[in-house]
Amino acid sequence: MYNRLLKIKPLLMLLFLAMLVLIVGCGKNDSANNSTDKGQVKLVFQNIYPDETATNHKVMKKIVNAYMDQHPDVRIDLDSLNIDQQKLKLKTQASGKNLPDIFVVNASAQMKPFVDEGLLAPLDDMLDKNTLRQTFQEGILNYYTFDGKTYALPDGNNIGVMYYNKQIFSDLGLTPPQTFTELIDAVKKIKSEGIIPIAIAEKETWTGSILFMNIVLRTNNGPGFLDDVIAGKKTFHDPAFIEAIEAFEELVDAGAFQEGATTTEYAEAETLFRTGQAAMYYMGTWATSGMETSDHKDYIDVFPFPTVHGKGNVRDFMLAPGSAFAIAQNSPHLEQAKDFLNYFMLQWPKENFEMKAAVGLAQHVDGDFQKAGYSDISINVLNLFQTVQGGDLAFDNTMKPDVAQVHLKAIQRLFVEKVSPQDIADEHQKAFEKSYAQ
Amino acid sequence: MKLTPKVFSVFLLPALVYYLTMVILPIGLSFYTALFDWNGIGQATFIGLGNFKELLFNDPLFWQTVKRNLLFALFSMAEIPFAFLLAALIARFFRRGQRIVAAYFLPVILSAVVVGQLWQAIYHPLSRGGLLNQILVLLHLDSLTRAWLSDPNVAMYALYFVALWQYLGYHVLIQYTGIQNIPHTLQEAAIIDGANTWQIMRHIVFPLNIPFFKISLILAFIGSLQAFELIMVTTGGGPAEATEVMSTYMYNQSFLNLHYGYGSAIASFLVMFSLLATFVLNTVFASLEKRYDIGG
Amino acid sequence: MHSRPQPNLGKWFITIFIIFPLLITQLYPLLWLLLYSLKNNDEILSGGIFSLPSYPRWENYVIAIQNGHYLQYLFNSLIVTFSSIMILLFFASSVSYVLSRFRFRFSQHIFLLFLAGMMLPMQSALLPLNLMFKNLHLLDTRWSLIFTYSAFAMPISVLILTNFMRSIPRELEEAAIIDGAGPIRLFTSIIFPISRPAMMTVSILAFISAWNEYIIAATFISSKSLKTLPFGAYSFVSQYAVNYGAIGAYLILAALPMILIYVFLSEWIMRGMLEGAVKG
Repeated sequence: MYNRLLKIKPLLMLLFLAMLVLIVGCGKNDSANNSTDKGQVKLVFQNIYPDETATNHKVMKKIVNAYMDQHPDVRIDLDSLNIDQQKLKLKTQASGKNLPDIFVVNASAQMKPFVDEGLLAPLDDMLDKNTLRQTFQEGILNYYTFDGKTYALPDGNNIGVMYYNKQIFSDLGLTPPQTFTELIDAVKKIKSEGIIPIAIAEKETWTGSILFMNIVLRTNNGPGFLDDVIAGKKTFHDPAFIEAIEAFEELVDAGAFQEGATTTEYAEAETLFRTGQAAMYYMGTWATSGMETSDHKDYIDVFPFPTVHGKGNVRDFMLAPGSAFAIAQNSPHLEQAKDFLNYFMLQWPKENFEMKAAVGLAQHVDGDFQKAGYSDISINVLNLFQTVQGGDLAFDNTMKPDVAQVHLKAIQRLFVEKVSPQDIADEHQKAFEKSYAQ
Repeated sequence: MKLTPKVFSVFLLPALVYYLTMVILPIGLSFYTALFDWNGIGQATFIGLGNFKELLFNDPLFWQTVKRNLLFALFSMAEIPFAFLLAALIARFFRRGQRIVAAYFLPVILSAVVVGQLWQAIYHPLSRGGLLNQILVLLHLDSLTRAWLSDPNVAMYALYFVALWQYLGYHVLIQYTGIQNIPHTLQEAAIIDGANTWQIMRHIVFPLNIPFFKISLILAFIGSLQAFELIMVTTGGGPAEATEVMSTYMYNQSFLNLHYGYGSAIASFLVMFSLLATFVLNTVFASLEKRYDIGG
Repeated sequence: MHSRPQPNLGKWFITIFIIFPLLITQLYPLLWLLLYSLKNNDEILSGGIFSLPSYPRWENYVIAIQNGHYLQYLFNSLIVTFSSIMILLFFASSVSYVLSRFRFRFSQHIFLLFLAGMMLPMQSALLPLNLMFKNLHLLDTRWSLIFTYSAFAMPISVLILTNFMRSIPRELEEAAIIDGAGPIRLFTSIIFPISRPAMMTVSILAFISAWNEYIIAATFISSKSLKTLPFGAYSFVSQYAVNYGAIGAYLILAALPMILIYVFLSEWIMRGMLEGAVKG
């Protein structure tokens, strides 16, 4: 939108240019171009795997290097950023229409603004090459499809589960709770032994939100609550939503979470659980690979979130379709970018399987996990995947960002204050009406 | 002296043009964007002063952040006399005082990530080994222990304190520079005249140091308005918005809620607000300086 | 005042009860960070604040240097930071000279213009600057950082330098004017040298903000060969895993040059002041 203004006021730009010439002569530099000295095509691959010692970065680098070996005419530059900065950078670039060739977006509502603006290239033609489409699990691409066109390819597909420490449970004579009442009882018992019942990283507000939404998934007797709200069939004053808030407050009151939960970071909460300081940990199944390296890994198992007051189905899960790779519509090398991403996604499951990181992929994996030496916890998680019947996406993948922010903060408030469920529902409803009225 | 065209074009014009394009132009664009309903990516709709109306009259959360910023500014400014005293003591008693000042300055050098991580560990709840809580227990003040950064009633104050701690050295450095700048001959003459330390302070050091009080005050004010990184690293504005300040609120609105136009309105408010405050400070000090007949 | 240090009771009292206790609270973060950088995640996240690692994990430093591309990023940070400071000092000192020494109609307005820029949050300048640099083909070059850092440090620098220059006694210049010096010579031979302490203060402040800056750098720089030190530290922060020990090691490595430069500069300022005192 600044373009318009800048056209009106070219004088300032001119002055600035004059300044540049004064100071630096010509500031042009080869990296601003899209090809290299050797006449190679240069693709910028912006990604969220910054840690070179982490498996995801190693897998990515291996595939990228293999591709460049086969295609000496293409050079792929990795711009690896941590996720907060990547999001900010991508929004800035989207606004300036200078997106990198390949980048990362999030499923559903979070990528919609980019799709609406026509910034993402449809990938259907490329999905049909080399039977790439068939490698994906059924239905998963729907989360990245708008008006029949698929715009991004996910790096993973996970579900929300409760990890628990078998050692602590058996020491206290507990079994995995089947109902919410049993969960509350277990929490109280564990708490009385001076152990943290459930570790949570509520500084990152989405962690409390997916746990809460899993309760909604139960009290609503099945998936689709938020979709119904958007469709105008329900409101946030629905008994299912109120009941979920009450249940969540019951958890907080029972002392389910560690002290100072709202400043606990992701890795911190996971460490509390992995080192046996906490008995349970509600998280997406992507956390499994981290458990593999824990000293306590033989004591770690999973159970699905229990039913709440007799409602819901334990085969419904919070679904977490992963972040996904997209290609800029205005990339000067659209075809090469598509060709590369096609290769990349075909190799992705194979390479991850070899690196023992294939739990929670969005694609079918050829290979015997047991034989490949995956641990019990991985096998158990994979078995749980087999039971999935349906479920909901996270709040921020379903509703517009501004409503999602109100929701995330409202849930965080439940950790530190006594708020009436009615007020929380009001807050949601007001934000929803304001945002969706437009 | 009179400003000649030559002086103007050599000293002022290049810098002014550079500054206008790099800083003032984005400010102007912020004001311009604030007139739109815009998510930062797609089409923008012109809504006139709609964002400002909403911000000033219909957003209680925003005024909360303004209040926190003002309180923050107040605390930061209250620290300056203390910094001056320290700087004066160091200058009085140490021949190589700059080394001590350098040590005081260390926390300023460390990035917000380090400072945030450190203080999170200090403020941890007792059950997780927080240093402050352990000290309180040692002092038999068990009733005061709490999760300092997760308690909405104290979290903001806990963060104010971190900022005061971190920026003490900053103001000590500025005050020390100021004190060093006072010609030694003046003080030596005063000592020969039989003045004592207090009299030298009162009649020489203090008045001559007024420009540096002004710098410190303005920087304290501005710094307290920014306070972005520390909050993002420690609490992220939580729990439940209890530590949200103007800058974090602007960031959240612009980049998380995708209300970029609204975020720009907050940014514009910030610019106007600080300009006004700086102007007031500057005027107050101009009269002070006149009274003591310095500069100008 | 420091010319007459008196080793007396007051000095010891103040040293022991005020200066040193404060000094410890200001210095211990370095010790803490050092311990931190030698631990692994479990020790950092579940141990006490000054607990010792079971054994020092020097491999954190190896990881930081190799996987965090320390030397490459250090080189880039040095270039960007020093270039920014050069441009900053050039512009800020000349503007301050005019604002402090010349009387003209719009001088107050121009001063206010500089104050106005002090409070623009960098985040709200991101989109406009991105667009500007895009049109100038400066994205993903060092210039995008150098220009941004130097320009955004201007307001504070002009404020400090103008105030400092106003406090320089006019007698010095009057003598030079009688000798026939013009405005340029007055600046280069009197105002600029005398302002050295303030210039150093300004440089140090600009240095710190440029050295630690990440949001602008992450947005404008994409090529690995141009990335600066904060990229290295943040590269150990993945979405679902953080390598805290390596971050600690990286932050120590990133702070070291800055501490060295600061100590060096502060010695240099002192010498400058003493020279000034002799001349004055």
